Parts: sequence; structure tokens; C-alpha cells
Amino acid sequence: MNNYIGIGFRKEFSDEFLSSGKLKPGFIEVAPENWMGIGGYWKKIFKQVTEKYLVLAHGLSLSIGSPEDLDWTFLKQVKDFIKEYDIQIYSEHLSYSKCDNAHLYDLLPVPFTEDAIKHISNRIKHVQDFLEMKIAIENVSYYTPVAAEMTELEFINEIVSEADCNLLLDVNNVYVNAFNHKYNAIEFIHGLPLEKVSYIHMAGHEQVEPDLIIDTHGANVIELVYDLFDYTTRFVRPVPVLLERDFNIPDLEVLQDEINKLNRIISINWDLQNESTKKHIPAAV
Amino acid sequence: MNLQKNTYRQQSDLANYCRTNILSGSLKVRKDRVHHYRRLVFNVVDDSLRSAYPLLNNLLPPKQWDLLVKEFFANHACQSTKIWQMPEEFYQYVISKESALKKKYPLMEDLMKFEWTEVELFMMENEAYPSFKTKGDWLNDVMIINPEYKILSFAYPVHIKNAKYITASDKGNYFLLGFREKETGKVQFMDISAIYTVIIENIAKEIKLIDIINALEGQLNFDSMDSMVQQIVPFLKKLKEKGFILGFKVE
Repeated sequence: MNNYIGIGFRKEFSDEFLSSGKLKPGFIEVAPENWMGIGGYWKKIFKQVTEKYLVLAHGLSLSIGSPEDLDWTFLKQVKDFIKEYDIQIYSEHLSYSKCDNAHLYDLLPVPFTEDAIKHISNRIKHVQDFLEMKIAIENVSYYTPVAAEMTELEFINEIVSEADCNLLLDVNNVYVNAFNHKYNAIEFIHGLPLEKVSYIHMAGHEQVEPDLIIDTHGANVIELVYDLFDYTTRFVRPVPVLLERDFNIPDLEVLQDEINKLNRIISINWDLQNESTKKHIPAAV
Repeated sequence: MNLQKNTYRQQSDLANYCRTNILSGSLKVRKDRVHHYRRLVFNVVDDSLRSAYPLLNNLLPPKQWDLLVKEFFANHACQSTKIWQMPEEFYQYVISKESALKKKYPLMEDLMKFEWTEVELFMMENEAYPSFKTKGDWLNDVMIINPEYKILSFAYPVHIKNAKYITASDKGNYFLLGFREKETGKVQFMDISAIYTVIIENIAKEIKLIDIINALEGQLNFDSMDSMVQQIVPFLKKLKEKGFILGFKVE
């Protein structure tokens, strides 16, 4: 068993996770916002988990696509968190969750426009300079384009190139968007800057209308998304892969089965014993 | 800012729609799908508030709860980057506004204060624990208390009675001590009287019990200093057993 496959750590399964040994991820991913500035019971649990597992961070509130200024106070907290837990990958969403000085606590789609590219790329650069590390930006699922002047693919490529950041490739989101907006997922994957992929996400989703899927993270990964992952990993260097499960959390053995399945796929597609392969992933992984 | 006015306007209109459910005619989105954003965003906020205020949610009829949350989210610009802290903004919003709902449920502010305090005590950052010795003289040594505590005062007994059965006749002066147990992180509450509130506040200032009692003598209905001591010390011993009083100051 390799350690490339991680799990999104949830409070909902923390007790069983720590006590049962049913779930054996290679690393865990957390949202810094849920674990910064806390104490008591959850601080204690988090300490136990971080003593046992490598931690990667996936943010929720940076709102890199916001029209307004970056929140430097918040970023300082993130920087301290990254330092405290020796976090080697910090990723965020290519979206916005704050506008007109109000947080919305969910991810809204950014208009695919030239000015948005410049605006967001600059913000990513500022964040990277401040954090003194490259960040990975995730392709998000979206249910409607907003005043789009170009394709999603052009938008992502331009931003990753201009900002010189890494890409968090969410394979499920590619599947969801391809379904929702009727494009070819394989062609989309090949159109991405795959050499910039530093992290992969996998998740389940829910089809709510005949032509609409919502990215819920509340179900098992479906076979078609596993297939897309299998295909994608043939063209991406070995990087950490995360299984996200935020709602309807099943028995931990079910999550371990999903981790095992992802492991089997990458074991075939990636030469994991090769030393040059190992240098592409965080040291502790 | 590199953003052009139109791009900003689109983002602002979408965010505003998610907060208010008012769709701007100039927002260029798929009208058959954009409602999912309003639903998803609102559910996150609603879930978070239900989780922080289960007693209030249980007290209010569903329609009134829904209206209150919708009004809050539409009118208040949430500032917390951490969603678990956002419900405090809900509490502050409710106490800052006059409303028919508060007139109908005069205990509402007390109930929200009680519920938010539990969340806050459970989640707040660890305070430094002072050093202490476990044995000492109750009257003449300085007591050391758990630094993770709050004392609340209420006009209604929301901490001891189901809010649905609290009436105007219950109105009075109630005090509550809440603290976080060091080992388990659990939040404990104790209903206390006004006099014990004063005593605890003075103990927190590292004033010896003998000096507190001397200062209070004459203000209280005790026959003698001895009877005060006999009443107060057992209560303090109980607080020590529960982990609120940690011990005595190492001089």
C-alpha cells in the first residue's frame, strides 16, 4: 500500500477514525478555517491526528475570485497555520465566496473574462508572495456560466500561466462540468496544463435534474469518474490524491474501499517505486 | 483592481441574489439553474445557525425561523471567515434590532446568549492555565480558577426550563456559570445565585475569601461571619470537585 491517497478529515468521523483503524489514508486534508483559532476538545483531536498523519490544507474562505481586496489578517492566520503544522500543499478554489464585504460560505463561479484573469492572477501572486510558497488552484464545478467571454478551459489555462501557480485537478468537477455544460471530459483534461497539476481531488456527486449534476461530496465516487481518473493519471505525474466525503458519511470501511480502489489505479498508472517519482510529492507522503 | 465594472457588477449581482433571492435583470446566467446557488448558499448558512441555536430553532415556528434567517442573511454582511463563528453575528444582529418577534418571545435574547456561549466556550482558543497547588486554606489562600469560563445573567430561566414553557411570571434575575473542563473539553453549566456571582468575580481577581466575606458582610442576610463561611465554603468545594476551582495559588 502506498501513501498517495488521502482523506478529507471530518469531525463527523474523527472518533472512529482515531480509534478503529478502519480507515488508513496516506495523509489527511483539512480546511484551515475549521481548525484555526480553536481550542478545547477539537484542538486536542486535531493534535492527535496531526501527530499521526501528514496534513495538507484546502481553503474555503480566501475567496481568490473576489472583486475586493485580499483579507491579509486572514492570510496571516493561514500562514501561521501552515507553519505550525508543516503543511506542504495549500490549495484554494478558482471561485469567490465573498463579495461586497460579505461572506457567503459557498463557492460562486467567477465570470470567465480577460479582466477577471488579470485580477485573479495578481491576487494569486500576492498570496504566493505572502505565503512564500506556490498554491494550487482548483477547477471548481459550476452550474451556470456568468457573463462568460471565453471557455472555462481558456480561463483556467490563462490563470495558471499568468499566476504561475499549481493546479489542483478535481476530476469529479471535470466530469460534473462536462455533463452540465455538454463538453467532452477527455478533451478538457488534455486541454489543461497537466504539468502544473500538484494535487488531485476525487469525490461523489448528485444528479438533481436530467441535465444537471451538483457537486455534493455526499455520495460514493461513481464508476465513470473512476474511469476518468484512471485515464487522467496516465498523463499526470504522481501527486497526492484526495478522496472528499463531506456529507452522508458511510461506514469507514466504505471509504477505505474507495481509497483502495484509487490506490489500485495509481499503482498501475504511476511508477511509484521510482525515486524520481517520489520527488514530486510532499516529503512525508 | 483590474476588474472592469461589468465583471464586478455580475459578481455582485450573483452574490446579492444568493443573499436576498432578488435576481437582477442584468445578471447573465442560466435562469433555469441559478436558483441552485441561492439554495446551496442559504442551506449552508441555515444549517450552521440551526446547529448553533437548536433551542431557538425548536422554539420558533418553522416559518418564523426561516424568515428570521433570511432577513439576517439578506441584511447583514457576514464577516467571519470561519463559519462556526458566523452564528455569533446572528446573535448580535438579533439583539441590535427591534422586532415583533422579540416582543412575542421576550426570552429570545437570553436563549441566544445561552446557546452561543456554549458554542463559544466549547470552541474558543485555549487559555494559559496558571500553576496551583491542590491543597490550601479556603479562607486565607488565593484560589485559582479555570480560566476558560463565563458568567451570564438572564432575565428568564432559559438554562433551567424549556423555553416553550417559560412565561412572564418566570421573569427575574438568573445567573449562570459556564466553564470548559480541561481534560474533556466539555462545557459545564451551573445555575448560581447573585452572591456567588460576586464571589466568583472576586476570586477571579485573586482576592482571598476572607477579604471577600469581610467586604460583603453587612450587605447580606447572614447571622455571622461563621454562618457565611459555612454556607460559602461547601459551595466552593463543589466548584473544585467539578473542576472550576483548580486549587490554590503557589505563593
